[in-house]
Amino acid sequence: MAKVVIKDSPYNLKKAKILDVKTLTEKEKLFKLVFEDKTWLDFEPGQFIMVSLMGIGEIPVSICSSPLNRHYFEICVRAVGKVTNSLHKLKTGDIIGVRGPYGNGFPIKMIEGHDLLIIAGGLGIAPLRSLILYSIDNRRDFGEIHILFGCKTPGELLFEDEIEEWGKRLDIHFACTVDRADPDWKGNVGLITSLIPGVDIDPLRTYAAVVGPPVMYKFVIKELLAKGLPVDQILLSFERHMKCGMGKCGRCQIQNLYCCKDGPVFTFKEIMDMAEAL
Amino acid sequence: MKIEQYRILEKSLINEFIDKLTSISKVSAPVYKGFNNYAFHEIKSADEVSLKYIPTIIPPKKYFLPIKETLLDFKKGNEFKVEPTVEYDNIVLFGVHTCDISGIKCLNMVLSDKPKDTGYLVRKKHITIIGLECNDYCDEYASCAFVGAHIPTTGYDLMFTELTDCFIIHIHSSKGMDIIEKTGIFKPADSNNIEELKALRNNKLRIFNNEIPTERRYLPDLFDRSFNASVWKELEQKCLSCGNCTAVCPTCYCFDIKEDVDLSLQSGERYRLWFSCQLDPFAKVAGGIDFRRERSARQRHRFYRKFRYHIDRYGMVFCTGCGRCSRTCMAKINLKEVLTSLIRESEAKIWRKWL
Amino acid sequence: MSKPKVAFFDFACCEGCQLQVANIGESLLDILDIIQVVEFREVMSEKWDGEFDVSFVEGSITDEHAVERIKKIRERSKILVALGSCATIGGVNGMKNCFPLEEVGKYVYGESYKFFPTLQTKAVHQVVPVDYFINGCPVYQPEFITVLKCILQGIPYYVPEYPVCVECKLNENVCMYDRGLTCMGPVTKAGCNSWCINNGNICYGCRGLTINPNTEGFKEVLKKYNIPEDFLMKKIEMYNKCRELDKQ
Repeated sequence: MAKVVIKDSPYNLKKAKILDVKTLTEKEKLFKLVFEDKTWLDFEPGQFIMVSLMGIGEIPVSICSSPLNRHYFEICVRAVGKVTNSLHKLKTGDIIGVRGPYGNGFPIKMIEGHDLLIIAGGLGIAPLRSLILYSIDNRRDFGEIHILFGCKTPGELLFEDEIEEWGKRLDIHFACTVDRADPDWKGNVGLITSLIPGVDIDPLRTYAAVVGPPVMYKFVIKELLAKGLPVDQILLSFERHMKCGMGKCGRCQIQNLYCCKDGPVFTFKEIMDMAEAL
Repeated sequence: MKIEQYRILEKSLINEFIDKLTSISKVSAPVYKGFNNYAFHEIKSADEVSLKYIPTIIPPKKYFLPIKETLLDFKKGNEFKVEPTVEYDNIVLFGVHTCDISGIKCLNMVLSDKPKDTGYLVRKKHITIIGLECNDYCDEYASCAFVGAHIPTTGYDLMFTELTDCFIIHIHSSKGMDIIEKTGIFKPADSNNIEELKALRNNKLRIFNNEIPTERRYLPDLFDRSFNASVWKELEQKCLSCGNCTAVCPTCYCFDIKEDVDLSLQSGERYRLWFSCQLDPFAKVAGGIDFRRERSARQRHRFYRKFRYHIDRYGMVFCTGCGRCSRTCMAKINLKEVLTSLIRESEAKIWRKWL
Repeated sequence: MSKPKVAFFDFACCEGCQLQVANIGESLLDILDIIQVVEFREVMSEKWDGEFDVSFVEGSITDEHAVERIKKIRERSKILVALGSCATIGGVNGMKNCFPLEEVGKYVYGESYKFFPTLQTKAVHQVVPVDYFINGCPVYQPEFITVLKCILQGIPYYVPEYPVCVECKLNENVCMYDRGLTCMGPVTKAGCNSWCINNGNICYGCRGLTINPNTEGFKEVLKKYNIPEDFLMKKIEMYNKCRELDKQ
């Protein structure tokens, strides 16, 4: 058996250095990364990367910074499993492996010129933050921008500083809700779906981008359809356990679609008749 | 059929050929394992080989897509280093049936699709395939005629077909020609041999009947109508989720990626390992949600991957008719029977519509 | 950084799993480079009275003394590992639970059984929390090493949830059912690389039942092979009797 090194292997990794780690909540940390070879990560909002901790494992993580940021890229990671827990133990200066980006991302060219309704549930804000930052950076290319953000408790609210800033902006309509309030919470209480009826949108010229936990989609879609949004203007990003990111390993397959390659962003139209999707 | 592409080998010389082959290269061939089971194993001499065999436990895809395959060697910590590697072997596979060759053609399609699987492509370059045509069915599980995998077409370097007194060999590549020259025991074919081969192929059209009461071209329609068929619910009761059907399938290629460190805990390898959509953790995501929790959904997924999804994606049916999945299934889930029930149910529905 | 302090303890068992560890061979030296074994009755006489970083516990818990002792070990251990079938699933000791305790006592000790109070057999996790499980009777050496590495890296080890068949098929073994034998592979947790079947034996089910076995389907399979159901149930009970205590 001969063994050779193949540099062009699609499984090759780039070294990424952790520039900064920011604790967002009890469970989530924000990692600021930069490639050691000074190249930048060329990606679209909604795409993901495969993050490697050698000897521990590799996981798909969506990129949450703006694609226009040429200095670093960011990922927001919730500690839930083997790799994420180990990642949370890392510090500034540590090296991790990265390959990607993978996936299609949000169809920016299609969205441009339209209004944008962003609906994020919990950690779903991560890929959407990339889209939000992009649309803020290119504010003129978009019509009205609405952001709805929901999470379980005020303690789980991610990107609090930024949220506050978005809330203050006059060119963005921002609303936030929690499922269960605490005594200090002054905002909305209730599921994210409760915010949708109140949003003032022109359904025919609006694209909705929805990311959240699997249970959220059905209910949000129902509300959006009630609002009159066309099925091909509802964009959903799915979570699956991608292992290769290249449409091979089969782990993320939803009927004939590979979530990693054909997705993770799908229009509702593409998947509405598909069992196993939602 | 160009006569110059054909050679003849006397039947009595087949063992001599295999022995010569083992002297010039590493050779793997079907070997009897007892209880009507066969496996591709590396052989040292001709007497280990079973020329008459039913499909091996695991198809020869294991040489192209090893069960366990190193993807990267790494060092962690301060000396962080990653080296993607591929392991390959110069090996001749002797006696590969046409069903398994068509399985490898399916894998070629998938793994050369972008982004290319470099490891697979490197290994493929170093493997030589010598086919062995089946003149008759191996057993009742085969459905190779349905998917058109019973007649050699492409995907091999040499193809052996047994005629009355000799083997006729089709040379299909320069790698194949090399073997012909190096072993030096083949004779040119004459027109009688070619005629006999033609007659044999014609006769095969009579022996091999379409095993399933529909045609390949109707598969997309059939499966489009069958997502909620009652067969799947029956499979829910039967299937043990042991993953045998996918492990033995020549066109299954799903895998898991894992890591192993050595005892220094500083270096190790990342490898991939065959995995199966029939097993519990396959479609689970963080938080424990499983998008195909029921056995019926998993079995349905398997069938759709063979007969529907990949027709759209790669333009091919991903079943080779080898019958392994049915042969190996402890619960006796039979591919031919499942397809037949789908057809019956679908027909019944259509009739009801018309009446 | 000092090497983690590791200890081995045994309860009701044959100590065969510890023997597997002691017999690991070449890699034992590399293992001893990264851990410090402070207590291991089978191979050394030293004892340790401090805290253990990792304790491997072989054997099941079968009387009050054992309950007290395992609780103390748990208190002194940062990480507790159940080693082998007896510790992870109760193992063959669990067969005791098929009979009334009194009957069992009399059978072993005759009339003086009252001087030897006993309890229903329990797996270690049925008495104290367990951090890692290494199944098998005995443990499979490569899996022991894998788990050890996980412990030292501070990451969890997941025992495969799928059946032995998965690994067995990849080892290209002739199916035991083809040979006319009843094998527990289809309902037993994998992770042993189908060790027994590779060596010509059937699977006895020593690693415990799979998470989500299709028991009804398996009964149908047995019918097809003319295997009586209670024959199988007895085979399952040989290692899995203590499972009943998990459900309570």
